[in-house]
Amino acid sequence: MKFLRRHAVYGLLAPFFLFFAFFWVAPLLEGLRMSFFSNELFGEASFVGGENYRDILKDSRYYKALRNTAVYTLSSLVLILPVAMILAHGLKSVFGKLRPAFQFLLLLPGLTPPAVLALLFLLVFHGRQGLLNQWFVLPFGWKYVNWLKDPDFILFALVLQCVWRWVGFISFFLLSGMEAIPKMYYEALQVESARSWHRFRWVTFPFLRHVILFCIVYLIVDAFALFSGAYVLLGGSGGTADAGLLMVSYTYQTAFTFGNFGTAAAMSVLMAPFLLFLLWACFWGYKRLSRESPAKE
Amino acid sequence: MAMKRRNRTILRKTFSSLWVGGLGLLFAYPFAWMAVSSFKENSQIFLPLKFWPEFWDLSFFQQLLSSEWFSFGKVLLNSLLISLGQSVGAVLFTSLAGFAFAKHSFRGRGLLFAACLCLIVLPRQMIAVPLFQWVHTLGLYDSIWGVMLPGMTSGLGVLYFTQVFKLIPNAYLEAARIEGAGEWRTYRLVLPMLGSSLLSYGLIHFILAWNEHLVPMLILNSPDHQTLPLALSSLYGSSLRFPFAVLMAGSFLAMIPTSLFFLISYKRFKNSLSNVMMS
Repeated sequence: MKFLRRHAVYGLLAPFFLFFAFFWVAPLLEGLRMSFFSNELFGEASFVGGENYRDILKDSRYYKALRNTAVYTLSSLVLILPVAMILAHGLKSVFGKLRPAFQFLLLLPGLTPPAVLALLFLLVFHGRQGLLNQWFVLPFGWKYVNWLKDPDFILFALVLQCVWRWVGFISFFLLSGMEAIPKMYYEALQVESARSWHRFRWVTFPFLRHVILFCIVYLIVDAFALFSGAYVLLGGSGGTADAGLLMVSYTYQTAFTFGNFGTAAAMSVLMAPFLLFLLWACFWGYKRLSRESPAKE
Repeated sequence: MAMKRRNRTILRKTFSSLWVGGLGLLFAYPFAWMAVSSFKENSQIFLPLKFWPEFWDLSFFQQLLSSEWFSFGKVLLNSLLISLGQSVGAVLFTSLAGFAFAKHSFRGRGLLFAACLCLIVLPRQMIAVPLFQWVHTLGLYDSIWGVMLPGMTSGLGVLYFTQVFKLIPNAYLEAARIEGAGEWRTYRLVLPMLGSSLLSYGLIHFILAWNEHLVPMLILNSPDHQTLPLALSSLYGSSLRFPFAVLMAGSFLAMIPTSLFFLISYKRFKNSLSNVMMS
């Protein structure tokens, strides 16, 4: 009985970690195993050692996918965070009665299945008749842009879709964080300086640091995992000249279009250290920033 | 002086309302257009600047609901079952784990918590290919269990509930323990205090599960076992001659559960987020 009591904690953890081990660690190990075998599925595969990895490192399309994913991730991050921050400040100073309605309108894209979102993007924003061309390109006298066929614009179209999808959610998170900041901190600052930049720099930002960190990590992971949007828009391929080829779509294509399951598994496995490195970099930057900032602690 | 200040605040509020509202309308325009387009003929749909239909044709909703293109009822039920099952499971498991991480010290705590953080950064889409193979090995291929069970783990949930449980005063737990309650009973006694947090996380998980595409696409094969987003995107891929209005009607219905869920829990969701972020 005493033994049971002392180890009851593990009982609390057990259900979660059972599922974790069974549906997450096990497939990952399965992927590791598959990556050393030839490309057939189910038992017929034979051991090939590091050949799949060698194939990947020689594959120029893999580098293209890696580059595109990096560009996509970075540009959506750089666009979304500042816009969401400004939007959160805007939402804060909106007439109180209107705020929930505005918030809902901005959140709608985030509540929608990305497959539907991609479809709407295609029908509403794309093409000569599309809003992007009619409102933002043609009025300036530029030639209309074929967002999904022109290799110069495919990635940009995907980024726009990502901004549309997440800006509302991120600003919702930031606003929730901002509303939790005690008023006295702003009041203390107002005595010395009322400049809004100072309010942001010395109160809002230090308080929201961990919320921002969370948003960054979330956006990076989501950008890396982008599949649905690109799949619906580009039909599971990389689009014209592979300009929209991303990591997950390429892995999908390798496995289910070309039937190279071993190679695809190796790609999956290779993605893990990359993402873990990114996470580590985020936390490292966060720690440094925390040391510099005088507020809160 | 006070008057001037008040005027300035009103001016600022009006200005903010205008640009934020404008952006909101731009963001939401496609959805309104989608709702209206579910009554339009194909020839009108490809003109996104023309908002209102020439006449309101209800036949497309009828086609959708009478399963002319895919078995709508079954697919909707699959989606609901998968998403609800995932979020209930995830809330239960991650809140238990969060309770353990927040209120107990035990051997391996740091390591296990780090494992949960890794779970956040390695998305399910990344391991889709091996997961497909693994689910096949388990014999869950083409079954909604094959999507639901792997979806019940969530690193985000553990992180969130660890923060939530940290906010509960230790004295409350002590009181329960002195009366001889075990860990399970203590957890159950605390649960009613966490209504909003449980609901908030359930909402997030529901939205993520409802919107998921890649993993269900790989695992669910037969048309009757698909989820709603899958059915819609395969309808789009089938040909260009089918009525787009059916697709628009289906997409519109696909958005209702998440939106409704969100609208109902908006206030609680926001307060709960603010509380967690304070800690």
